[in-house]
Amino acid sequence: MQSQTELTNNESKLALNIIHRPELSPEYAEKALGGKRDVRDESLDIFLFQQETAHKYGLKTTIQITYASLFSDKIVELAKEHHDKYGDEIGLSLLGLPCKQFKEKYQTEDFCIWMFDEDRKKEIVDDCFGLFYEKFGFYPESTGSYFLDAFTINYIKEKYPSVKCAIATCWEEGPKAYHTCNNSWYTFMDGGPWNPWIPSKVNSHCPASDRDDDSGIVAIPHLSRDLLACFDGNGSNFGTHPQNVLRGMIYYEDEKGTEYPYLYNLIDQYRHLAKYNDGFCYNMMFVGPGWLNKAGRWESPYERLAKSYDDAMKYYGKLKQKGKCVDMTMSELADYYRETHPNYKRAECAMWKDILYGSNKEYFWYASPSLRCCLDFNQGGAMIDLRPYVAKIPQKVGIGTDNVYDASYPYIIQANYRAGYFTHYAGAGTVKSCKIHYHGQTADLCLCRTMARYEKTDKGVKIVADPVTVTLDGLDITVRSIFFFDEETGNMMTRREIVNDLHGEVVTLEEYLTGGFGTTEYQPDMTDVSLWVYTNCCGGGLIDYEYKGRKSVGKIYANACLPSIHTQITLEGNEADRSSTDYPDEFEVEEGIAFSPVFHLRARKNISKGGMETWLKLQKVN
Amino acid sequence: MAQATKGKLNYRCPRCFMRDIDMDMFYDEKTKQYYCLRCAFRGTEEEVIGLNEQFKQKYGRLRQRVVDFGEDNEPPKFREHKAGEQ
Repeated sequence: MQSQTELTNNESKLALNIIHRPELSPEYAEKALGGKRDVRDESLDIFLFQQETAHKYGLKTTIQITYASLFSDKIVELAKEHHDKYGDEIGLSLLGLPCKQFKEKYQTEDFCIWMFDEDRKKEIVDDCFGLFYEKFGFYPESTGSYFLDAFTINYIKEKYPSVKCAIATCWEEGPKAYHTCNNSWYTFMDGGPWNPWIPSKVNSHCPASDRDDDSGIVAIPHLSRDLLACFDGNGSNFGTHPQNVLRGMIYYEDEKGTEYPYLYNLIDQYRHLAKYNDGFCYNMMFVGPGWLNKAGRWESPYERLAKSYDDAMKYYGKLKQKGKCVDMTMSELADYYRETHPNYKRAECAMWKDILYGSNKEYFWYASPSLRCCLDFNQGGAMIDLRPYVAKIPQKVGIGTDNVYDASYPYIIQANYRAGYFTHYAGAGTVKSCKIHYHGQTADLCLCRTMARYEKTDKGVKIVADPVTVTLDGLDITVRSIFFFDEETGNMMTRREIVNDLHGEVVTLEEYLTGGFGTTEYQPDMTDVSLWVYTNCCGGGLIDYEYKGRKSVGKIYANACLPSIHTQITLEGNEADRSSTDYPDEFEVEEGIAFSPVFHLRARKNISKGGMETWLKLQKVN
Repeated sequence: MAQATKGKLNYRCPRCFMRDIDMDMFYDEKTKQYYCLRCAFRGTEEEVIGLNEQFKQKYGRLRQRVVDFGEDNEPPKFREHKAGEQ
């Protein structure tokens, strides 16, 4: 086992978790095999194949023992043997619950730990951990599921404090996965981080804001997913899961067999993220046995499924040999993460480029205890996703709560679920961007494709977009967009600068945010929303949302209070210097209509040179 | 007429796949065709394979390997992938 010092010295290397779980009745295999074969034996063979393949390339694994496999002496002995021989960690998965013993004991076909009621969650956790202790003589240091809610994490940490790492989400698995699976796969868990994080005690999606909020574990996602392709399309095709890549048909055939350079490009882009995260970069691979079943899957025969797994391990093995990757068990990763992430407020960043379609699309992802957001430079730096982590929405999920299955963290902006810039003839979609007005003509930076640079500063992260030029009534107007994420306050600054000479012509800059809230494509009722513009102690305008399309204008700031998601969102200027030449001239709020249930916050400034600075502030309410 | 069965390799409906829906098809032994329960697609194995190849055309970098991710504000640099190489 490597010492922590050795791991820390390797901080620019890819930290890698390889995780295997022996299932005795994996849900995919049961469906695919149609009950025709002995799933139990096949699953064990697949687990052995995965273990042997990782070891062949010199990689250690974390064996996540399932409830079902705790009844198999063969698997228990095998896990002990591999722990002794290869340094593999023996963890406990809360996936793989379904088996004869589980179904008989709990009289249910449910298998997702976060969907049970609270008493049943505790009962199952105690059952799994107790049985694990009985078989192995110790409690595990790692656990996981597709998703782990804060209630379950807090209970596990309280009762079994040895646990320090857990698989706790599938990144952007929500309505997209549901639709892809013919509206039958109820894993709604959009809105979480894409890389390891320390979950809040209140809501496991949110990174902990301080020691008091620290749940005591390091969470990892279930897969390392493509941060562009998964946001734009079906999440299940674009991850460091070779069979996902086959599922997406991202391969071609040649004389040497099946080739999938995209898989290696994806792993390499994760390595590239070290540039934006103080040298930290991470990858995980967690392929359940159902994906490697002998009947084949997703048009691929078993031979191709197995080859893709072997090739993936081979690539990680090569990276390790070259000193570019460090294989870790989950508990080692937790220690390494804690050592390399001493500051709770330090955000996870990703400047992510298209490596699949051939476009020049580029996203910037940011996740801190205050917010998660995505800027799309194919749309001039428009914000296309916004999650108010600062609200730490105390969502409960499972039977007996208001959310039986929907564990997604609510958005304020989600440009794909809620239209973004382009709508059909009427209304507006959720997005944050800037419009430029001149002589009655208007251009939106959403239609200006560009790319951007990342810069780390003492106080946060600065993103500078390459300038774009719009032409209105014959006047060329060149605009540079600068975004600054203040780590201390959690607020985000946007500065739009005119960088060419307008020869005294005056243009109007209009920074706007069109928002809503929810977890799916559909907007819940908005009548508890209130919109407010502030001018001074005696003046302002309040609109209680009634779908009437009303507007109100003020001088100092505009905000929206969204009680349903415990959030207040404010658009303002630099509050430290309201006399600044960069301060907006006016602010506006506007409610939506029934056909377009959104709200609008706007800031405007008339200028011929210089720029306009606005700040986006998210606060918890209720 | 005998009931339909799952065909070999779990072919998905190529038309549904193009709209991001994974819909396993069923096989009609009598007509030697796969068909979809969700949309009106039906076709032979050869037709399914042909449509799947069409689908892949959207992956412009399917056969390319990243050489360098470049500066932040420039696209990655690619080269053609060579058979057997990682």
